[in-house]
Amino acid sequence: MENEKKKLIQFRNIQKSFDDQIILKGINLDIYENEFVTLLGPSGCGKTTLLRILGGFLDQDEGEILVDNQDITKLPPYKRELNTVFQKYALFPNMNVYENIAFGLRIKKVSNDIIEQKVMRMLKLIGLEGYEKREITQLSGGQQQRVAIARALVNEPNVLLLDEPLGALDLKMRKEMQYELKRIQQEVGITFIFVTHDQEEALTMSDKIVVMKEGEIQQVGSPVEIYNEPANAYVANFIGESNIIPGRMIRDELVRFDETDFECVDKGFRPNEPVDVVIRPEDIYIVPNGQGKLSGTVESVLFKGMLNEAIIETVPGTHVTVNMHITSESANQNDDGHIHISGNSFYLDKEDMEGIEEKDLIARADAQAWNDETDELISIEKVETDLKPELGIYSITFTTVGGLSITKTIQVIDQQVVRNTKKNEGVSAFDFFKSKEEIEESIALDTDLKTWADAQGWKLDNEDEAINLTVTYDFDPENIGPGVYPITFWTTGREFKVHTTKNIQEGSEVGLDFAPEDIHVMEKEDFIS
Amino acid sequence: MKTWRRLTIPYLVWGTVMLLLPMLLIVFYSLIQPGNEVTTFRVTLANFIRFFTDKDFLLILVRSLTIALKTTLLCLVIGYPIAYWISRCSARMQNVLIMMITLPMWINMLVRTYAWIGILSEGGPLSIVLGWFGIHTEILYTETAVLIGMVYNFLPYMILQIHTSLTKMDPSLVEAANDLGASPFQTFWRVIFPLSLPGVISGVTLVFLPAISAFFIPKLLGGGSWFLIGNVIENQFITVGEWNFGSAISVIMAMVMMLLMTLVRKADRKGAKGGKA
Repeated sequence: MENEKKKLIQFRNIQKSFDDQIILKGINLDIYENEFVTLLGPSGCGKTTLLRILGGFLDQDEGEILVDNQDITKLPPYKRELNTVFQKYALFPNMNVYENIAFGLRIKKVSNDIIEQKVMRMLKLIGLEGYEKREITQLSGGQQQRVAIARALVNEPNVLLLDEPLGALDLKMRKEMQYELKRIQQEVGITFIFVTHDQEEALTMSDKIVVMKEGEIQQVGSPVEIYNEPANAYVANFIGESNIIPGRMIRDELVRFDETDFECVDKGFRPNEPVDVVIRPEDIYIVPNGQGKLSGTVESVLFKGMLNEAIIETVPGTHVTVNMHITSESANQNDDGHIHISGNSFYLDKEDMEGIEEKDLIARADAQAWNDETDELISIEKVETDLKPELGIYSITFTTVGGLSITKTIQVIDQQVVRNTKKNEGVSAFDFFKSKEEIEESIALDTDLKTWADAQGWKLDNEDEAINLTVTYDFDPENIGPGVYPITFWTTGREFKVHTTKNIQEGSEVGLDFAPEDIHVMEKEDFIS
Repeated sequence: MKTWRRLTIPYLVWGTVMLLLPMLLIVFYSLIQPGNEVTTFRVTLANFIRFFTDKDFLLILVRSLTIALKTTLLCLVIGYPIAYWISRCSARMQNVLIMMITLPMWINMLVRTYAWIGILSEGGPLSIVLGWFGIHTEILYTETAVLIGMVYNFLPYMILQIHTSLTKMDPSLVEAANDLGASPFQTFWRVIFPLSLPGVISGVTLVFLPAISAFFIPKLLGGGSWFLIGNVIENQFITVGEWNFGSAISVIMAMVMMLLMTLVRKADRKGAKGGKA
């Protein structure tokens, strides 16, 4: 079928940059006759630039465009046999509906009676009969949109370019125009090239979707192909909703994620190749606990009209709870007239003892000296301690140039590290000492708590890969008294988004089931960068 | 609201004393017989009759209208391409160019007009340059000199108005016209020019009104030979001392201008019909 169709437009290695920014990185794309093609991608992906190059409003830096096997690179826009529907319609405000639609024909010096025939036929096609004498300003957004389409189509182009034409319409109007555009395309039987960032729009209308990202084509295919077999995690994430889980390909048709092996239908990966696993929320079925391939706790359920969207945690996150000792400020501070010195007692991991320097001790104790008159910090000249690389309690004294000193304690401990092998995570944190003023003065308390507790998370198989931690505590930072407060640092577990028509309870235990063909394995791609 | 409204009283008083009252006084003066006793005035139309029955005055009126029309036309023909060219430059370049257009306006108009006497006079730079081409002609104290002075002084108003209306235009309209097959020339006449008409109209107004009532440009550059209506009015008030007749001519001028303005505005409405974006 594809082979019978004629190639209408061929993009050959189109490159474009503005200033120093590369917008298009060599686009190769064939567009066939009578296709509804959608260029889909987020703003800045180059889709509009590509369309404007095709329309002739921009020149490419490299590459060529063939239309019917003729290079059109050097043709100015008014000599190209394609027409554009602009983002904000660009109707001529000094002309009425009739004259706007007739514009292209008048330029071609078509006789008046033929113009009238054609314009009237267009008005019928777009369902605006009787509107020919209306001024543009008297039309609604949807009507202006239709006039813009008619103004382009009346010239009987081989290709119609549409640059986010539905962006300015409200939701209801947009849905209506989606069907309308598809109907018009099928009726006139020409190629439509449609630019949008709305994946739903693309899925509804297109014969072929071209997914773009940062000036590169990610995937070309029919809506069904793109939805069911996304080429990579980026496409999967952009088209529809997805659960994307890092995993490893054990062998053909067997993938491992969250320390469990699953049968799948994908092959052709290297053994043990790291991959992204995509499972669509609607492909996961809720079954009684213990019956599915995974089991988990229902974290939340959102009612979404036709169905419920549930978040189910199959692997719990990693939690570490430490104690925060709050002392009154005077205990942590010594004064000598206008000179003050402060510092905190702290815990130290035995493993961290090796090579520890004075500046590390000052930092860990958060030791500072200052003059309250001049508001200047004073350097700490001397650090004295009986610290030994053994478990125990030691004293440490910080002294300023002027001889003012403060003595605190260091507790050397064997630090507890929580290892979550199922999630491949380790998390550690220390108990710590602070004064209530330091809590009250903190402007980014969560970050400060992580620093004070030296809280860290990492991948067990790669200690250099840090994991983000979340902090929870249950004291009031504005109003805290001396005492001991628990603080928990934790990671989120493995969560699956599931679309279901079943009514499930938050907090209940359920099983999750999915078919091997619904596990989509794709090459790992860093789609944040 | 009511208390705030009281704040407008000073402005109303100012407006009445400085604008309305003088105008009423001029109308009043134009309708009474000459004489110093304002308290025992006698109403008459003699001042108006005198103007309309004197061929010389009518000739001067026609001459003033003609020269104002010529000035306006020249400003339009010279100003439109300049404004169009400026509007196609980059935003930064546009700022520079617009500043260069407005820069001469920082200097007093009288001073700039005096400068033209030097340029246009015999033995001045212009006559030397023309001499190279074998042209020996007197320019100062002719209609050409007056026209040069007027166009020079009023051109910026035309350029600024047209430039504003051109830059306000949505550039995608030009792209749309190109897309529909219009060549750059067709795009200009079918889309750009019609949409810039409001700017053209206000530019025409801003040039024509001061041009028709100008008096020191024709006086300085036209010498005694290029008497315009503004000069007549000035003469009646300052040299002859016939305030009543001078007032009558002023009222007639005001009427003519009002009439022309109404016509222009009507044309504007017709031209811009449906043209409001």
